[in-house]
Formats: sequence, C-alpha cells, structure tokens
Amino acid sequence: MSGWWDWSYVAQFFPYFLAGVPITVLLAVAALVLGSVLGLALALMEMSGRRWLQAPARIYIEAFRGTPLMVQILFIAFAIPFALGYTPNRFVHGIAALALNSAAYISQIFRAGIESVDHGQVEAARSLGMTHAMTMRAVVLPQAARVVVPPLTNELITLLKDSSLVFAIGIPELTTRGRLMASRTFRPVEAYALLGVMYLVLTIPLSYLARRLERRLSRGVRRPA
Amino acid sequence: MIRVEGLHKHFGSLHVLRGINLRVAPQEVVVIIGPSGCGKSTLLRCLNLLERPTSGRIFIDGEEITAPGVDENRVRRKVGMVFQQFNLFPHLNALDNVALAVRLVQRRPRAEAEAWARSLLEKVGLGAKAGEYPSRLSGGQQQRVAIARALAMRPQVMLFDEPTSALDPEMIKEVLDVMKDLAREGMTMVVVTHEMGFAREVADRVLFMDQGTIIEEAPPQEFFINPRHERSRAFLSKILS
Ligand SMILES: Nc1ncnc2c1ncn2[C@@H]1O[C@H](COP(=O)(O)OP(=O)(O)OP(=O)(O)O)[C@@H](O)[C@H]1O
Ligand SMILES: [Mg+2]
Repeated sequence: MSGWWDWSYVAQFFPYFLAGVPITVLLAVAALVLGSVLGLALALMEMSGRRWLQAPARIYIEAFRGTPLMVQILFIAFAIPFALGYTPNRFVHGIAALALNSAAYISQIFRAGIESVDHGQVEAARSLGMTHAMTMRAVVLPQAARVVVPPLTNELITLLKDSSLVFAIGIPELTTRGRLMASRTFRPVEAYALLGVMYLVLTIPLSYLARRLERRLSRGVRRPA
Repeated sequence: MIRVEGLHKHFGSLHVLRGINLRVAPQEVVVIIGPSGCGKSTLLRCLNLLERPTSGRIFIDGEEITAPGVDENRVRRKVGMVFQQFNLFPHLNALDNVALAVRLVQRRPRAEAEAWARSLLEKVGLGAKAGEYPSRLSGGQQQRVAIARALAMRPQVMLFDEPTSALDPEMIKEVLDVMKDLAREGMTMVVVTHEMGFAREVADRVLFMDQGTIIEEAPPQEFFINPRHERSRAFLSKILS
C-alpha cells in the first residue's frame, strides 16, 4: 500500500537535506554580517544631517525595500553579470543579493538603536569637546548595540527563510535540495514537510533567544535611572 | 573672560535672545535668574556653541568664538557645562565618565587619565564611588560626577544650567557645596539657578533676564534687597514667597 506519506522517504531525504543546512546557514550569516556593515553605514549616512550623504542612503533604502527580493536576486545574479560581461559565481551573487537587501532593513534597526540613546548624552559629550565621530563611537554606538541585538536576531531568522529564494539561481541550499528530491522521487509531501521542519529547527531557537534578549533589555530600561 | 556683544538667537520665527550684552571677568561668579522660557538655557548654550547664535559676537578669553572657521570642539574644551539632567554616560562607571574625554580629546594615556579622574572624584567627595555606574548613584552623586567630568577638561569657564532643579531637596546642598568650593578656588562661573541662597552667598553679580534680554544686573545684596525693575520685583516676590 502506498499512501501519500511514507516515512522511508523522510529517512532517505534527511542526510541529503542535512548537507544543505551549512549552506543555508552560511548564506544567512554572511548576509547578516555584510548587511550589518553596510546597514550601519547607511544609518550613519541617513542621520549625518548632510544632504549629499542622506539622499543616496534614502534612495538605496527605498529601492531595496520597495522591490521584491526575488527580483533583486535575479537582477544581481543575471542582469549585472550580463551587462558587465562576466561569468557569475552564483554563491557570491546569492550572498551579495541577500546582504544588499538586508542592509536596507538593518539600517532602520541601527537608526532606531541610535535614536534610542538620549540626546542629552550627545550634548554632554559634545560639550566636552568630543567630535561627532568620537561621540558616536564611545557614547552612542555602545548603547545602541544592546538595543539592536534582538531585532538583529530577528533579521537573521528572516535571512534564513529568505535565503530559500536563491534556489532561483541554483545554489544547493535547503530549498533547492527539497525541490530536487520532490520532483525526482514524486514525493512532494515528505520532501516539503521535511524541508519546513528543518527550517523550523533553525528558526525556533533563534526566535526564543530574541524574545529572551528583548525581555532582559526591557527589564534593564525599567531599572531606576 | 567672557564678552558677549549684541547676541541674538532665533529658532525659526521665534526670537529667543534679543540683543544680549554681557561681560564676565576672570574668577567672577554670575548668577542668571528669570522666568521659564526667557532664554537662560539658550544663552548658556550659545556660550559653548551648542547653539549657533543668529547674530552677535562672543569672546572667550579674548578669542572670538563666533568668528567663521573657529573649531567648535576646541572652544568647548575651554568651557565646561553642567546640565540639569546630569547627562552621564550610563554604560560607563563614574571613573570612565570623567576619564573618557580626557583620553579621547586630550589624548592622554589611560593610566594618566584615570589618575586625574580619580583625583577629581575625590575633590567632589566621590572617591569611593569611582567604580559605580550612574544608575547606582543618587541624583546628587550623579550631578557631582558630572561636575567632575566637566572639570576634567581643565576649562577656563564653567556653565551650570539649573544644576539642582532635578534633585530631591536633601541632595541640593551637596551639589551647591561643590559649586561653592569651585567659586572659592577662583573658577569663573555662569550659573542659571533658582537657589537664591546660593546667589546671595556666592554670586558677584545677579542678572535678571526676561523675554530674551537682560533687564537688570546688580550685586546680590542690592538686587535682592532693592530690585529696580518692576518685573524683577514681581519675579522675586513670586519665588521668595
Ligand atoms: N532647539 C529649540 N528649537 C525651538 N525652540 C527652542 C529650542 N530651544 C529652546 N527653544 C525655545 O526658546 C525659548 C527659550 O528657551 P530656554 O530653554 O532658553 O528658556 P529658559 O529660560 O532656559 O527656560 P527654563 O527656565 O524653562 O529652563 C522657549 O520658548 C523654548 O521653547
Ligand atoms: Mg532652561
């Protein structure tokens, strides 16, 4: 009897999917790190008060938040190499697309973190003769860093999920493997169910962690000043 | 030490300072009083360029700080400021609060900056609290750390903007005592405060501001006993009652 569910397929797919986990994780973590560097730069540009820095940052953020990630991936992995006439490294282009996209969102996380620091401290620092850069580095960013950890953890969760879209450019991460097995064995139920469970195993601990960090942070805020 | 000539400040259409002229001699202590919103904070903030004057000139120690091209960070090192809300850095302990700008701005090595910071904390009576974070200090202690932090840059002038207004009554004295010590040592000070006892005891001169101008200035004995201007009289009777 062959119903729509057969555990033996799950067992068969598992090691093959498992080999995709490091690739998915690497895509997400690399995009988070690169996206944070670029996102911080965008946030500082946006808050610099200088129009020639603000304008490009705002355009960038609007462009990447206002278009589908899938379109961005296709554009970066196919259109740019085509226009410039080189053979793309798919993996590099996949990470680049995810990083460029998440930078737009991460910039808003950093911006909120920086704005959460009381402006009186900035004035105190400036009144001591500290430059804008010194004030950012020694006073504002160390405090903003605490505030941005939970939303950055959530951004990592988003990236783990969104990295599935790079199946479109053939990187052998989790979703690419799921699709391949589903079509090769005609077992879509086992393949996609297992695929979903594997994403959950990655994301649930992270969202638990993010919630705990958030709670600890709000406790810290309520402590008398 | 301080000379202000024809200072005006607009915030958009709001004309906050309307032609301030002021001289403060070295080692002089000037107390500024006046009703809320009359521009006292704005005047102090212009003196260290936290606000840019709309027009007029300000000289500190003979140098025109309002001249084009003056490095505002260098000016601010000469002018210390203490805020109503203390504005300590909550992620740093008391010692690091005081030592931070000494290290970054004056580029002193950490050990030297910390030794200097420690001696200032002792001066304000908080030598034992060097390792405490601001959240573990009382308001009065926080304000004394803030004074030590401003002194750490060896300013030539100290500005105080209502330094005791955010404090519980029992903590006001410890802050005023530190300020009195400073005055006695010859620090040039401009103090916005409603502590009339402090003004009487320490001030060389009291300025009364209203609606963006200085309408009366006199030594405290004279000002408190016999204010000349109608509005100063009204203000004094209100806060002394
Ligand atoms: N950055 C700013 N932008 C716009 N308006 C401002 C700004 N700072 C101050 N003002 C306005 O300027 C006026 C004078 O303010 P200022 O803080 O100097 O008064 P103050 O005499 O210090 O009053 P208080 O006793 O309440 O501290 C007020 O009407 C205030 O609302
Ligand atoms: Mg004020």
